[in-house]
Amino acid sequence: MGKQNYIECERKGLERLINFRLPAYFNKVGLLIAGLSIAAMFYRAFALEGDTEWLKLVLQKTLLIGMLLMSVARDKDEDELVVKLRMQSYTYAFIAGVIYALVMPLVDYGVSNALKPEGEAFHDLGDFQVLLFILMVQLLCFNALKRMR
Amino acid sequence: MENTIKVERAILSLTQDDLAKKIGVSRQTINSIEANRYVPSTVLALKLSDVFDKPVNDFFKLSEDD
Repeated sequence: MGKQNYIECERKGLERLINFRLPAYFNKVGLLIAGLSIAAMFYRAFALEGDTEWLKLVLQKTLLIGMLLMSVARDKDEDELVVKLRMQSYTYAFIAGVIYALVMPLVDYGVSNALKPEGEAFHDLGDFQVLLFILMVQLLCFNALKRMR
Repeated sequence: MENTIKVERAILSLTQDDLAKKIGVSRQTINSIEANRYVPSTVLALKLSDVFDKPVNDFFKLSEDD
């Protein structure tokens, strides 16, 4: 392979990676998975008895998968402005996620100890909480930016 | 960046939707470009140039703060 071909091949590979999106129908698939997961979470919390901690963990994962599919799926009329808005929403979500992960444990600790003399001990957020927050902010920002375009 | 796309579109009697379909973007994108909320890529600018049959410089101008 010549040097030019190698560069061309590498550029195409990079472009494929940058332009990776799932087809638009994954929006609905993701919404369905997320919706079912939330419904099942309520069902588990209020209707199921016994040790169902494993189910809670599974449902947390499926909720994240559903939201990720919605996040990565193409828009109905995807064009360069929509791509730019999506990138912008990821930026906002990342920044908000980092601030949330830093501040929220302090807020939890402060509120808990202000209300009760012996409140909860300080503990960091779990990965589910942070990822859920990041995905929620991304999806909300993306939709808000699309409405404002 | 300032532009006169709205004028060029009116000269050709095109709606935002018509122009959007011609260059393969959404109507909202044309609206954002016309309102100077979005500066299009070179590819999109050249597609517009093709539709209007004019050089890009004729309908895109740098503003003082650019």
